[in-house]
Amino acid sequence: MIRIEGLHKSFGPLEVLKGIDLHIRSGEVVVIIGPSGSGKSTLLRCINLLEDISSGTVIVDGLNLKDKDTDINFIRTEVGMVFQQFNLFPHMTAMENVTLGPIKVRKMPKKKAKKLGLELLRKVDLEDKAHVYPDQLSGGQKQRVAIARSLALTPKAMLFDEPTSALDPELVGEVLEVMKALVVDGMTMVVVSHEMGFAREVAQRVIFMDEGLIVEENTPENIFSNPQNERTRSFLGKVL
Amino acid sequence: MDSMGGNFQFKYSVMWESIPVLMTGVKLTILITFFGLIFGFLLGSAAGLGKTSRNIFINKLAGVYIESVRGTPLMVQVMFLYFGLPLALGMRVPPLTAGVTAIAVNAGAYIAEIVRGAIQSIDKGQVEAGRSIGLTHFQALIYIIWPQAFKRMIPPLGNQFIISLKDTSLLVVIGVGELTRQGQEIIAVNFRAFEVWLTVAVIYLAMTMVISRMLNTLEKKLEIAA
Ligand SMILES: Nc1ncnc2c1ncn2[C@@H]1O[C@H](COP(=O)(O)OP(=O)(O)O)[C@@H](O)[C@H]1O
Ligand SMILES: [Mg+2]
Repeated sequence: MIRIEGLHKSFGPLEVLKGIDLHIRSGEVVVIIGPSGSGKSTLLRCINLLEDISSGTVIVDGLNLKDKDTDINFIRTEVGMVFQQFNLFPHMTAMENVTLGPIKVRKMPKKKAKKLGLELLRKVDLEDKAHVYPDQLSGGQKQRVAIARSLALTPKAMLFDEPTSALDPELVGEVLEVMKALVVDGMTMVVVSHEMGFAREVAQRVIFMDEGLIVEENTPENIFSNPQNERTRSFLGKVL
Repeated sequence: MDSMGGNFQFKYSVMWESIPVLMTGVKLTILITFFGLIFGFLLGSAAGLGKTSRNIFINKLAGVYIESVRGTPLMVQVMFLYFGLPLALGMRVPPLTAGVTAIAVNAGAYIAEIVRGAIQSIDKGQVEAGRSIGLTHFQALIYIIWPQAFKRMIPPLGNQFIISLKDTSLLVVIGVGELTRQGQEIIAVNFRAFEVWLTVAVIYLAMTMVISRMLNTLEKKLEIAA
């Protein structure tokens, strides 16, 4: 589904990704952990081209992101992205946030889009908030709307960049529940998160990144109970 | 000079009598301001967007326009447009056209800065969220950035609208019969400078107050709609 080979990314003189190789199968759930600044966000952002790639290849659903013929906007609808800061559109209701993509990108008739929107808001348990603006929603509710907004494009994979880090602790659970429901649906997911419980429960693989490289990858049980690399050990010691 | 001393007597009736003529000026003032600001807003939006563009040519072009307008007096711009440019073009420009153009070009430069500032104040995450659901750059601008930026533009735009309305009085130098010009002409006949300029000032004040009320209402309306 997603195939990354020798991915390098620099911001000017600063090399942030120093050769990432990562294959993600369809339906797989991968959790990425690692210290702040290790390049986790940048890696996700390269997968849906919010950052352009310095060198290496990223292939999404058989399409090479570097090919001139590849329609970037199409890729972005194939790979949904959920941000730490939600980034809901504040001037639109929850419903409008969710239906903007289907209407403007998929050219779906408004009626049909509304039906889809309602379905998705029901899926994230926010049917009653359809006509509410983001500033009236809690952080957890905002993030669930943001997830519904991504799902509205029926992506084949979803990228989550610390989806619960900006939330009050008591709101983390409701967002993780929605994400777990996606796992059940068979969604391919790449999740940057330090929610170890979530990783243990649903991830097939946990990847530890440090200083722009994948240092270690393993099943959640193995990596959490028996980390091989010293850096992984010291990082987990701090987080767990 | 002694006519200016002691024997001044305020004549209330002069104010009333001057109003019908001044109103013909008000009509022109409103007309010039209205069209000047419509074109100014279009020009300013284009130049403001140009300033946020990554295309160097467009960016520089917008920059040159904004800098040259902001760096020269409006009076000089007006006279250049009306007396100067026709010599180069080999055709006369009607004063009204020159006036509207001057106001539009002048306001456009200031509006461009307002537009640029408002657009750049919108969180980068907004465009990214838009692009992540597959919107093109242009769609993200139209549906996500502009509506949010526009709300932030309203107070400074209101300010610019008021400035431009007052600026139309400078068009007196090219003989456009707007409010200030009408005042001048009345005084040339009746020599009642105090009453007439006072009336003219009060009328300008009334018009600027209407503009600020209208913008306040608009701002409140947009606030309610999110
Ligand atoms: N747009 C950018 N310009 C310059 N440096 C950046 C940019 N985005 C990220 N960085 C730098 O790249 C490094 C990795 O950032 P990031 O991928 O956000 O790490 P993480 O998500 O693991 O905390 C950091 O040092 C950060 O400062
Ligand atoms: Mg990050």
